[in-house]
Amino acid sequence: VSPAVTCDDVLPLLPELAEGGLRTAGPIEAHLESCASCSAELGRYRAVLQELGALSQVVVEPSAQFLAGLLAQMPEARRRAFLYRMAADERVQHAALSLGGAIVGATAIGLLWWRVTRRSLLTGGVAVQEAGDSA
Amino acid sequence: MVSPELLAACRQGDPDAFEEVVRRTYRHVYTQALRLVGDRHEAEDVTQDVYLRVFRGLSGFRGESQFETWLYRIVANAAINQLKRRGRFGQLMAEPEPDRGGTGVGAGNFDLPSGEILDEQAADRDALTAALESLPFSLRSVVILKDVYGLSCQEIGEELGTTEGAVKVRLHRARRRLKDLLFDSEG
Repeated sequence: VSPAVTCDDVLPLLPELAEGGLRTAGPIEAHLESCASCSAELGRYRAVLQELGALSQVVVEPSAQFLAGLLAQMPEARRRAFLYRMAADERVQHAALSLGGAIVGATAIGLLWWRVTRRSLLTGGVAVQEAGDSA
Repeated sequence: MVSPELLAACRQGDPDAFEEVVRRTYRHVYTQALRLVGDRHEAEDVTQDVYLRVFRGLSGFRGESQFETWLYRIVANAAINQLKRRGRFGQLMAEPEPDRGGTGVGAGNFDLPSGEILDEQAADRDALTAALESLPFSLRSVVILKDVYGLSCQEIGEELGTTEGAVKVRLHRARRRLKDLLFDSEG
């Protein structure tokens, strides 16, 4: 066992060492090569990590009807995703803003035109009535 | 799981391709969600949410990372959001993390095997699953996302709203706890 490095120095490093494999040289590696206890502990960590990695391919089956329900909602999911993408598209946003501005402008012009027309109709009506009275 | 050709068809709006992606991945998505939220019904809700996000984001997925890694991250985000919506996330993250560093007994109510089972390659996934379930969420989430699904510590930190350093500390504790649970239960 290397006198420079003790088990107490090495043990806290094992969870990380187990992930990356051993480096080629160094006092930690020298200790691990000569210390059966630390080497075995490293093997245990590696076994845990190996089993954890294998878990990604182990699946839990959802309920029997789940897939059918999931697929049934796909058209709605696609529709909502389409609307979301549309709403996020800058060109669509600009077009919507332009269209909105055009609608507001047209409404304002229409209102002005309606008020002017109404006023002239009222004024014309009064003039006709006054002309009738004087006659 | 999913080929680039299938993804390209999805991006072009092919509904059959979307369905095929769902068929090929839903078990994995559901399982990851279940491992994180710990409840079957909530895992189903998360899975539905995941596919909505996948369809939204697929056009932006350029394949710099593997599709599966991208998908795993979406599941993590959706699961954490689900926990937040239920008001459970803060509570779960605040669970005490006593770093006993010794015997695995007492972390849960599981009958764990003793001895060098993993050394003998007699992989007992039930024991590992039980050991994982016995971890507090703050440790379990990190070790599942890193060691099972391969997300980076930085990505996990972003999902959990914490720093990369805090993730590494939790990962260290989680691995040590799992090793103790699986190998030192006689201790």
